[in-house]
Amino acid sequence: MIFKKSLLAAAVSALVLTACGGSSSGGEETNVEPTGFEFTATEMITNLTNDVIVVGYQNLNSAAADFLLALQSLVNTPTEENLLAAQQAWKDVRVPWEQGEAHIFGPVDALSIDPHLDTWPLNTSDLQALLDSQESFNAEELATFNDDVQGFHTMEFLLFGDGVTTNEKHITDMTSLEREYLSAAAEVFKGYTQTLYDAWVVANNPNIENSPAYKELLLTANNDVYASQLGVVEELINGMIGIVDEVGNGKIAEPFGSSIANIDTSKVESQYSWNSLADFTDNIRGVQNVYRGEFLGQSDKSGIIDFVSAADAELATRIDAEIVDAIAAIEAIAGESDLPFRQAINDEEGRVRIQTAIDALSILQTSLENDVLTKLQTWQQ
Amino acid sequence: MKHFKRTTLSNFTMVMISSLIIAGCNSSSSEDTETDLEQEVTEVTYTYISQLGGEATAIDASDSGHGFSTPMPNLTAEELEKHLKGDTNFERAFTTAPNAEHPELDGLGPVFNNQDCNSCHQRDGRSSTITLVKDQTRVLLGSEAGIFLRISTEDGQCEIPTVENNYCENKAVDGFGTQLFHRGVLKARHDWQENPFIGQANVYLYYEYSTISYPDGNTIELKKPIFTIEKPYDVSEQNSDNSAILQANVRYSPRNGMPIFGLGLLEAISDADILALSDEDDTDSDGISGRPNWVFDPVKAINNDPMPVSLGRFGWKASTPSVRVQSLAALRGDMGITNPLFPEESIANTAMHESYLSRTGFIDTGRDEEGNTEATQAFSDEVVFYAETLAVPARRNIYDESVIAGAQLFSQINCTGCHQPDFITATGDIQVGGLAAPEAIKGQRIYPFSDMLLHDLGEGLADNRRDFTANGQEWKTRPLWGIGLTKAVNPAAGFLHDGRAATVEEAILWHGGEAEQSKSDFMALALSERQSLINFVMSL
Repeated sequence: MIFKKSLLAAAVSALVLTACGGSSSGGEETNVEPTGFEFTATEMITNLTNDVIVVGYQNLNSAAADFLLALQSLVNTPTEENLLAAQQAWKDVRVPWEQGEAHIFGPVDALSIDPHLDTWPLNTSDLQALLDSQESFNAEELATFNDDVQGFHTMEFLLFGDGVTTNEKHITDMTSLEREYLSAAAEVFKGYTQTLYDAWVVANNPNIENSPAYKELLLTANNDVYASQLGVVEELINGMIGIVDEVGNGKIAEPFGSSIANIDTSKVESQYSWNSLADFTDNIRGVQNVYRGEFLGQSDKSGIIDFVSAADAELATRIDAEIVDAIAAIEAIAGESDLPFRQAINDEEGRVRIQTAIDALSILQTSLENDVLTKLQTWQQ
Repeated sequence: MKHFKRTTLSNFTMVMISSLIIAGCNSSSSEDTETDLEQEVTEVTYTYISQLGGEATAIDASDSGHGFSTPMPNLTAEELEKHLKGDTNFERAFTTAPNAEHPELDGLGPVFNNQDCNSCHQRDGRSSTITLVKDQTRVLLGSEAGIFLRISTEDGQCEIPTVENNYCENKAVDGFGTQLFHRGVLKARHDWQENPFIGQANVYLYYEYSTISYPDGNTIELKKPIFTIEKPYDVSEQNSDNSAILQANVRYSPRNGMPIFGLGLLEAISDADILALSDEDDTDSDGISGRPNWVFDPVKAINNDPMPVSLGRFGWKASTPSVRVQSLAALRGDMGITNPLFPEESIANTAMHESYLSRTGFIDTGRDEEGNTEATQAFSDEVVFYAETLAVPARRNIYDESVIAGAQLFSQINCTGCHQPDFITATGDIQVGGLAAPEAIKGQRIYPFSDMLLHDLGEGLADNRRDFTANGQEWKTRPLWGIGLTKAVNPAAGFLHDGRAATVEEAILWHGGEAEQSKSDFMALALSERQSLINFVMSL
């Protein structure tokens, strides 16, 4: 379908008239250079890809290996001490996973690893029916089960108990079949963390040998995934916004409810282990990692802060402070009596502290959406 | 990219302007100017269009994997709130009934294809193509699979829907229905202790490969998925040849999850504008006919319309009339969640369902004591509204020379014969899915690159299963908007109804039938021209 007049042609016609007519107003309008800022993103993208995202998944895979070993020890030697070690190992794997939720894109989604590892809520009735009906469990078989009877929260439930009055479970409360289930589930879990890491560093589709490592797609934007570096930066910023939104408006606000009369403990993430506040804190620490370009305590490297700073140094500092504030507000929810989140939502003073955290997250989210994301429009690559 | 676009435009424009200024102010070269200008003005109209969804185009998300997932920016605050609730619903993973703590989540299955919408429409886009590990001969469809099989018993073509022919609805396979549910809740089957979490049958996939050669000698390998069905529930394992699902008169059609943005805009195109493009008897002799699918409309039926038939718009064969019917049928079918529009379980009145209910004490019947379905009206309305109001991503790389050239080639080889570039959506008192349409989708000039009609695409792509009035070789023209972001949204996604094409190029090469001439013309292009055309499609 050929049309006689394109927008460009119309623009050109107008300019021809302007140029010949001697009127300067139209010409000036066209010649105005767009206001914007310059920033070379290669170093930042390289650092965030290799030293934040990939290293994060490496840490996850390594923690998952330790967790599997801890469960195998528990199966072989079912002692109180080994149970405690397994519980701690579960919490340790949780750290890199929750931090990595600040960049949920690529293989973690494409390979369905997120639902395999972190489906919530779990299906306690099916889990019990399986334990009641099967004589043994192995990893190969368990991998074919639905996601709501495997992954983090299924293992959490088996390791810590129901979490209602305590998060302490004793070895005497655990059957050998439960330990077998746990060990099989941890083996499946470890398989997925390995797949995830390999997808970033070896081949993004594990079954297609020549598919590029996912990290390469970020490092060499101008491919079928990212048409430009702008796409990569947009991905990273939207990833931060996504988790700030989820923590503030989902993970915290939903169980919190509008008043103490309508709290919903059943919606609390990691309610069995009482690890919720650590989860939420790590989520926002993940945002901090991407924003700053380094993990806590490491020397300064290039992150989104440098991109923002190139546009508006004051804004860059403000966002950094808002992230710090949000983390501090979440950590403060526990209060002096060290309440777990599932109890804090049912405590008047705890609720005040939770509201403070929700507000801090809301401020951060608004800034990221309105002030940071919009910088993409004026970035001169 | 947004700034890049502008900079490039200004550079490009300035070059043009410079030459025109010189020419325009110097009468001696006016003929050259005319020629230059003529070349420019004959560029196809969509060449420099960025906002493919009009005012309903995404902002700050069109270059990354978030491109399909943002609400239309022109929604009202109230509409945005409803959209965001629908977003949460879209990701809700359902569980087996009963779930005492979360009654709002229970009701999954008893048989299903996946547990939440997102699993088949990852990040609101296409699902991951299932691939085989090296040396693996086949793979079982499980929770990673965003693909399933539609099934029916062969009963000949259906031309005109009437009450007598059940409005051309497909004939169900005895004891199975019209969709094969390959997964189940733990106790879905009577033999659940040996076959936990299996649905009506196991479905396996493997690929057949073929090589296609371009006239210039370049070759490309294509793959086509082949499905096999085992362990059907209706017969014992030794007796599986007798299963109703394995008889010769059963037809199968694989269906992959597809992107769900911009759908309200597509529903807001008037019937008349779509029907105006149909050319059932190819009166213009261009080899392209294009015809509508006429399909049963449950929304009309529930409102006692004497002729509950509408123009088909959604699904790979345009077999549903609205986002509402498409989404809520998927909620009930793909996930097994009953809802007010589809209140019965997907396998109601089959031996499998009766066995399941009696074995599990009638706790998961699809309705509670008051007759309420598993999903409420509000939940259903929100999730439908979500899919109606996701923004269309804007284009990328518009001013890239290759993309500009590709835009012209796309028209020259008549891809536009089916991939109709633009429409203007209806205005006034229009409805979507039987409810008043939001203002955001009205009166927008949109560029979906689809005529919304059925076309015969040849034997290579055929599923050989009719769907309402669509025959076994016909498919609805896929909208191409946003297609370039497919792999940013999901790097493992594939194209076409069964995900067989790993790239846009492979998808083009699967075209046949009415698209045979355009495909041949594409193949005859020089390598650089083919790349230009692909670059244009990827800019959408």
